[in-house]
Amino acid sequence: MSAIPIRRPPALDRVGAGRKILAVLGLATGVAIVIFAVLTRRFLTWDNIKAIFSSASLVGIMALGLTFITLVGSLVSLAVAPVAVVCAMAFLSALGLGLVPALAIAMALGAVINAGQGALIGAWNVNAVILTIGAGFLIDGFAQTVHGGKIILPAGGGYATLNSTPLGVPVAVYVMVGLAIAFQLVLKRTVLGRQILLVGSNRRAARAAGLPIGRITTAAFALAGASIGLGGAFLGAFNTGASTYLEGTLTFDAIAAVLVGGTAITGGRGSILRTLGGALAIAAISDVLLLRGLATGAQILFKGVLVVAVVVLTQVRLSGRDT
Amino acid sequence: MSASRRWLRTEYVLPVVAFATVLVAFLIVPGLAGEQLNQGSYFNAFQGFAPLGLVTLAVGLPLIAGEFDVSVLGMQALGGVLAVRAGGHSGLLGVAAAVAGCGLLGLLQGIAIARLRLASLPVTIGTYIALLGLTNVIASNNTLTYGNLSASVWVDQPVLTWFSPRSLITFGLCAVAIVLFGATRLGPELKAMGSDRRAGRVAGVAVERRVAALFTCSAALAALAGALFSYSSASASLDPGLQPLILAVAAAVLGGVSLSGGRGAAWGLLLGALAVALLEELFSIIALSNSTTQIVFGCMLLFVVSADAPDLRTTMTAAATRYRRTDGVELP
Amino acid sequence: MSAVVPRLDLEAISKRFGAVEAVREVSLSIEPGEIRGLCGHNGAGKSTVINIIAGLIAPDDGQVRIDGQAVELRSPRDAQRHGIAWVDQELSLVDTLSIAENVMLGGIDARLLRRRRAERTMTRDLLAKVGLERHDPGELLSGLSLGERQLVEIARALGRGARVLILDEPTATLTDVEIERVFAAIRRVAADGCSVLFVSHRLGEVLALCDAVTVMRDGRIVDDHPVAELSADALVTAMLGEQLELAPHSRRDEIGETVLRVRGLSVGTLVNDFSHDFRSGHVYGIAGQVGAGAAEVLRALAGLMPDATGDVRLHGRPLDLRHPVRVKRQGIGFVTNDRKAEGLFLGRPVGENLTVAQLGRVSRRGVLSARLERDCAEMLAAAAGVDAGRLGQPVGLLSGGNQQKALVGRYLQTADVSVLLVDEPTRGVDIGGRAVIHRLLREAAEAGLAVIFATSDLDELLELAMTAITMRSGRVVGVYPDEVSRQVLLSDLTHLSERHGAGPIEAVR
Repeated sequence: MSAIPIRRPPALDRVGAGRKILAVLGLATGVAIVIFAVLTRRFLTWDNIKAIFSSASLVGIMALGLTFITLVGSLVSLAVAPVAVVCAMAFLSALGLGLVPALAIAMALGAVINAGQGALIGAWNVNAVILTIGAGFLIDGFAQTVHGGKIILPAGGGYATLNSTPLGVPVAVYVMVGLAIAFQLVLKRTVLGRQILLVGSNRRAARAAGLPIGRITTAAFALAGASIGLGGAFLGAFNTGASTYLEGTLTFDAIAAVLVGGTAITGGRGSILRTLGGALAIAAISDVLLLRGLATGAQILFKGVLVVAVVVLTQVRLSGRDT
Repeated sequence: MSASRRWLRTEYVLPVVAFATVLVAFLIVPGLAGEQLNQGSYFNAFQGFAPLGLVTLAVGLPLIAGEFDVSVLGMQALGGVLAVRAGGHSGLLGVAAAVAGCGLLGLLQGIAIARLRLASLPVTIGTYIALLGLTNVIASNNTLTYGNLSASVWVDQPVLTWFSPRSLITFGLCAVAIVLFGATRLGPELKAMGSDRRAGRVAGVAVERRVAALFTCSAALAALAGALFSYSSASASLDPGLQPLILAVAAAVLGGVSLSGGRGAAWGLLLGALAVALLEELFSIIALSNSTTQIVFGCMLLFVVSADAPDLRTTMTAAATRYRRTDGVELP
Repeated sequence: MSAVVPRLDLEAISKRFGAVEAVREVSLSIEPGEIRGLCGHNGAGKSTVINIIAGLIAPDDGQVRIDGQAVELRSPRDAQRHGIAWVDQELSLVDTLSIAENVMLGGIDARLLRRRRAERTMTRDLLAKVGLERHDPGELLSGLSLGERQLVEIARALGRGARVLILDEPTATLTDVEIERVFAAIRRVAADGCSVLFVSHRLGEVLALCDAVTVMRDGRIVDDHPVAELSADALVTAMLGEQLELAPHSRRDEIGETVLRVRGLSVGTLVNDFSHDFRSGHVYGIAGQVGAGAAEVLRALAGLMPDATGDVRLHGRPLDLRHPVRVKRQGIGFVTNDRKAEGLFLGRPVGENLTVAQLGRVSRRGVLSARLERDCAEMLAAAAGVDAGRLGQPVGLLSGGNQQKALVGRYLQTADVSVLLVDEPTRGVDIGGRAVIHRLLREAAEAGLAVIFATSDLDELLELAMTAITMRSGRVVGVYPDEVSRQVLLSDLTHLSERHGAGPIEAVR
C-alpha cells in the first residue's frame, strides 16, 4: 500500500515557498552579520569578548530559567522584571543573614511566586500570557508598596562578592555559564525535563498519557522563578540598591534572548543552551553596533529585527517537520 | 433555545455587569470616602478613556480573531514621537504622519503574519522591541517636547463639559468599530477566525486579508492614541512601559473577550474600556495610591482570566461528581 | 451516457506528492442531478481527488470542467465561485456563532452590511429544506448534534446555489435517524438539479443512495457502474482487487481472574449503567456506532471524563475515575482514537513517544539513564514492529500505520499496566498495519493484560475480540462470549436487521 499522502493546499504551497525564501535570506544575512562583526575593530579582543559575556549575564541568568516556561508550552512570562525586583529587594534586605542565606531566600522567593502562577496555568490551562501580565502588575504594585518610593539598601556587605571579578571575569558570567549547563542537564537528563518537553509538545496527549500536568508546569515555573530570583540578586548587587525603577526592559530582554536562541514559542522543542546562545548573540550584536558608534536606539532596533528574523526562521524549520 | 437564553452568554453579560457595577461604584464610593464628585471627575474619566479606548480596540479586535498584538505598545510610542516630530506647525499633519507611518508598519507585519502563517505573539514581541528602538532613533534618545501650543490646547478643550476632542474621537472610532463588527459580515468572520481558523478558511472567509487588515488597524489606532496623548502632554515619551497594554487587556477581558478567541463584540470592548477608565478615575478621587491601584487591577485581571480558563470546568465537574452517590459506594 | 453537458467533468487528472503518485489519469463525469458514489480504500486517492475539486490542491495534469467550461480552482473561494460545495468530515462550522451566521459565513458574494431579518428568513427556508425546521436560526451552533451540523453544512451549500455538492464520509459519525435525514436532504438537493459526489466506504449506504458508483484503487479509476448493475460483493472485489478474506476470529473461555470490575458506570447522558467484569489474559471488544457510548466507556475508565460515576474496582481496590494521573498510576493504559491530537507527541522523537509510560523504569532517582532508555525504546520498537533506525526521528514523520504502532507500543511489555484501553485500534491504518496491531493486542492479552477496545467496525470486532459487547444509545445491548454472527451484531448496533437491502457487509476499510 502506498504511503498516505500529506494534504498540501496551494495556499500552503505558497507559504512554504515564501518561508523558504525568507530562510535563505535570513541565513545570508546572518553570514553577512558575522563577517561585519569580525571586521569591526576591537571586536575580536579578549576584553571585548569578556564585555559581551558580561553584558549578557544578568539577562542571561533570568532568560535561562524563562526557557522552561516556553518549553512547557506556556509561551512566555511577562512578569519577569517585577519578580526580579522583588527578589532583589528581598536579597538586599536579607544580607544581614549572610550572602548564601540571602541568595537562597531570593531564589526561593522567586520560585514560590512563579510556582503559584504555574499552578494555575498547569491545573486549569489559564492563558499564561495574560495571567503573567496580571501577576506582574500585581507584584509590581506590591513592590512599590513595600519600598514606598525609596530605594531598598543592602543590609550587609555580602553583595560585593557578586560584583567581584575573579580572573578578570565577573561572577555573574560564571554563574550564567554554570547555570546554563546545570539547567541543560535538568532538561535533557532528568525525568522532569522530559516531562516538561512532553507537556509542551502536546498537552492533551500528556493528559491522556497520565502525566501530572499541574505539577510539571508548576515545577517549570518554579525553576524559572529560581533563576529570576538569582538574577534579581545580581541586579540588586550591581545597583547596590533595589526599587521598581530597575525593571526597565528586563522582561522583554529575557524573552528576546529565548526567542533569538531559536526555541519555538509553542513549546516542546528547544534547549537551555540555545537561550545562552541567544543572550550572547544579542549582546554581541549590541556590542558591534556600539563599537561602530551607533546609538542605543539603533541597538534596540536591531535587537527587535533580530527577534523577528529568528522567529520566522524557527517557524520555517518547524513547518517542514510537523505535518 | 428561547430568545432570552441567547443573550445570557458570558460574552454579553460580563461587559454589561462590569460596566454597571463600576458605574454604581463610581457614583457611590466617593461619597462614602468623603469626597465629592464634580464635573471635573467625569471629564477626567473620559480623558483617561481617550487613549485607553483606542488601545483596547487595537488589542481586543485581534484577540477576538485569535491573534495577540503586543506591538501596539511600540506603535503607541512611535506614533507619539512621529506626531511630535512632524506636527510642529500643523497638528493634523503630525497625526497623519503617525497614523500613516505606523499603519504602514502594521500592514507589513500583518501581511507577514497572514501570508507566512506565523504565530502572532513572538512576531509582535520582536516588532515591539524594534519599534522601541526606532522610536529612540527618531527621537535621538531624548524625550521630545511639543511646541505646538494650539494643538495641545485644542485636543483637550472641554466639549459639553465632560468631553474633549480626544475622547470624542475615541467614542467616534468605537462607534465605527461597533457598526463594522455588529452590522457587517466582519463580526461573524472575526469570531470564526478566532474560534476555528481552519473552519473559517474552508467556509470561505478571506482569512489572510482579514489578518492583514486587523494588524493595520491595530497599529493605526495605537499610533493615534499615542499621537493625541503626546499632544495633550506636550511631550513624547520613548517607552510607555507595559501599563497601556495591561489596562487594555483588562478592559478587553472585562468586555467579554475570551482569550482563546472567538467570543466578544466591539460594544463589549467599549464598555470594558469605559469601566476601566471610570475605575482609574475613582481610585484617583479616593486618593488610592498608584501601587494599590495596580494591585487591584492585577487581582481583577487574575480573577477574570482564571474564570475564563478552559480546564476549570473540568475540575469543577470532577469536584461536583464527588458528591453524587452511586450504589452507596463512596468515591475515594 | 446521454448528450447532456456533464455538470462536473474531470479529465486525466494526475497529482503526485514527492515520489508518491496519489492520483493517475483520473477521468470522471457527473451529470446534473446525479448522485455519484466514490469508493475506495485508504490511500486509493479519493481524498486527493476531492481536495482538487474543492480547490485545496492544484493538479499536476489534467482539466476540471464545470458545465463544460474549463476552470482553475486555486482556493476554496474559487471553488465556491464555480458552484462547488465541499462538506468534509471535519465540518467547517464555528461553535461560537449562531446557525444563521454559520450558514452565511464566508459566502463570496455576501454583502458587507448584514441584513439580519433577511438572513434569518433565508436560513429558515434552508433549514426547512434539509429537515431542521424545528431549530431557530438564532440558536448557537454548539447546541446541535453532529448529524444536525452536517445538515447545516448542506444548508449552507444550498444557500450558495451549489451545483456540485461533495460529501466526504458524511455518515461515519451519525446515528441511523440522522443518516436518514441526511439522505432525504441529499435526494431533495439532487432533485433540484444539484450533482452530488458521495464519498464513503459504507457500501450499504452507497448502494442505497447513489445512482452510480465510481471505484478507485491505487490512484486510478477501476470501475464505474450504475448501481442497478452492482452488488456489494462486486464492489468489494473492485475496491480490493480480490475477494475479502476475513481473518479467523478466535473465541476463548473467559479464564484468568477479574482484574477490572465495573458496576453501574454512567457518564452524563452518554453512558448509562455499564457493568462488566474484565479478566486478565482476555481481549474484549465493545462495538457501537459513534455516539453509542463505547468510546466514552473507555475514556471514563481512563479518567478523562470528570462526570463519570460508578463503582469501578481495579484488583479489588476502588478506582478514582476523576483524574487520569491517578488512573494511569494504578495501572490503566489508554490509547486514544485521535493519535495526532491526543496520542502522540508529534515533534518529539519516536523513542521518547515509546518510553513515555515508563519514565520511572528508565531512570534512577529522577535522572534518566541513556542506556536504560535506549534499551527500553529498542525493545518496545521491536515489539511494536517499528523500525529501530527511526527512533531518533520525530514521530510526526512516520506514516499513519507506524504512528499507530508507536502509540500502541507505548503500553507493551510494561508490568505497570494491567488493563489496556484502546479506542479505535486501527483508524486510518491500512490492511498490513491493521494485522500488526491486532497481533500486538492479542500478544498483550497473552502476556496477562486485560485488553478492552472500542470500535465501530464489525469486521475488527469479529477478528479481534474474544468477548464482544454491543452498545447502543449509551446502554449495553448484548454480551457475546461465544461465537456470534454479523447479523446479530449489526442488528444490535442499528436496531435494523438488514440495512437498505444491501448485503451483510457493513463497513470495509
